[in-house]
Amino acid sequence: MINHHPSDEMLLAHAAGETSFAMALALSAHCELCHQCAERVSLLQQKLARHHLSAPSGVNALDDATRVETRTEAQQSDWLNMDSLFDAITATEAEEPVLTKGDLGPAVTAVKGEQFILPRTFRQLIHSDLASSWKGLGNVSRLRFDTQDGKARASLLHIAAGGEIPEHTHKGVEITLLLDGHFSDEFGSYGPGDFMLMDGSKQHTPITQDGCLCFTVVDAPLHFTRGLSKLLNPIGELIY
Amino acid sequence: MVKQVQEIDDNSLKQWLLAVANQRDKQAFRALFDYFGPKIRAFGLSRLSQQGLAMDLVQETLTTVWTKAHLFDSDKGNVATWVYTIMRNQCFDMLRRVQHNREDTFGDDIWPLFDSDPASDEFADHKLDNLLAAYLGKLPKLQREVVQGIYLQELSQQELAEKLGVPLGTIKSRLRLGLEKLKSLLEKHHD
Ligand SMILES: [Zn+2]
Repeated sequence: MINHHPSDEMLLAHAAGETSFAMALALSAHCELCHQCAERVSLLQQKLARHHLSAPSGVNALDDATRVETRTEAQQSDWLNMDSLFDAITATEAEEPVLTKGDLGPAVTAVKGEQFILPRTFRQLIHSDLASSWKGLGNVSRLRFDTQDGKARASLLHIAAGGEIPEHTHKGVEITLLLDGHFSDEFGSYGPGDFMLMDGSKQHTPITQDGCLCFTVVDAPLHFTRGLSKLLNPIGELIY
Repeated sequence: MVKQVQEIDDNSLKQWLLAVANQRDKQAFRALFDYFGPKIRAFGLSRLSQQGLAMDLVQETLTTVWTKAHLFDSDKGNVATWVYTIMRNQCFDMLRRVQHNREDTFGDDIWPLFDSDPASDEFADHKLDNLLAAYLGKLPKLQREVVQGIYLQELSQQELAEKLGVPLGTIKSRLRLGLEKLKSLLEKHHD
């Protein structure tokens, strides 16, 4: 049972593809474990698709008619002489897909002699040059991903059974997605799939009885890469 | 022109896409191209802020529509939503390319293009060979015998063409269709 979910605002930013890479990984992995949020994202995608790609009449109830018509005229008027682009596209042959086990298999990683199957979001990433190797100290091991999101640091964090992370605060925001096992802190206890957001004002000391594996993003930018407020404006009713 | 556009509904989009999937129908694709092209370009301009990049987004997105039309699941999906996910994923990768000079593509890992059942317990199942065997059975016979011949009996495409008495091109296209189908079945499974 998953009790902690991302906010609706985060799910919308995710459906719009407007979060940072590290955040998109966390949200995608949560949706893979959480049917409820996956449904929500799929619904938001439908609405975004209608917003950006649908016929302007009636269908698009979110825009007022006049604005849409102006936009459509502007869009259509110079969509001429596109024959060369059309020819280039239709000359493309479907590629022969190469079926490899790496392609199809799940993302697997091993730490402290234990093997974990990760959400499919990590399939390519875990084997890419952006992934470091597991490094550990005592009960705590970390595998860092260089997601190149500025200050944000994304990693897989493994805490062996009975382990504890010393009390700490965060300058920025910390996102934790629990992938396996359980842990608890001063605020509650958490299981697989739980998505937690801690801001700088709280202190916590996570401990785990049975050991756990998490995906964490530290100093995650909570402002979204661009235009979310602009986006929220016409479709604010989607989430409020 | 505008009037014409307004009459297009979800059902026409679906008919066009099916015609592309089943008959490689260029006229139907032209209709999709003229319908989605300007909208994708407008989206690309707002995200990527450059005309050239916006046109790259149009080309990448519509090329995927053209080459992968047969993977669209018309029972479950809405055409605009499918095109939107392709466009959004592509745009995500393009932004990483522009901002960080990365050539990798993670968009389709983050947002799988095929409908999925994320709550499925089979998340943890990784007996790939059993899976492959089970899914092979779901392929049409002609595609199955080609996939089996190449991957299980390790015949060359030429050997298989001779054995089955069909042209090499037929082997190639059956193999392509079979593998794509298999891949989408497996991706659904792992979702
Ligand atoms: Zn959730």
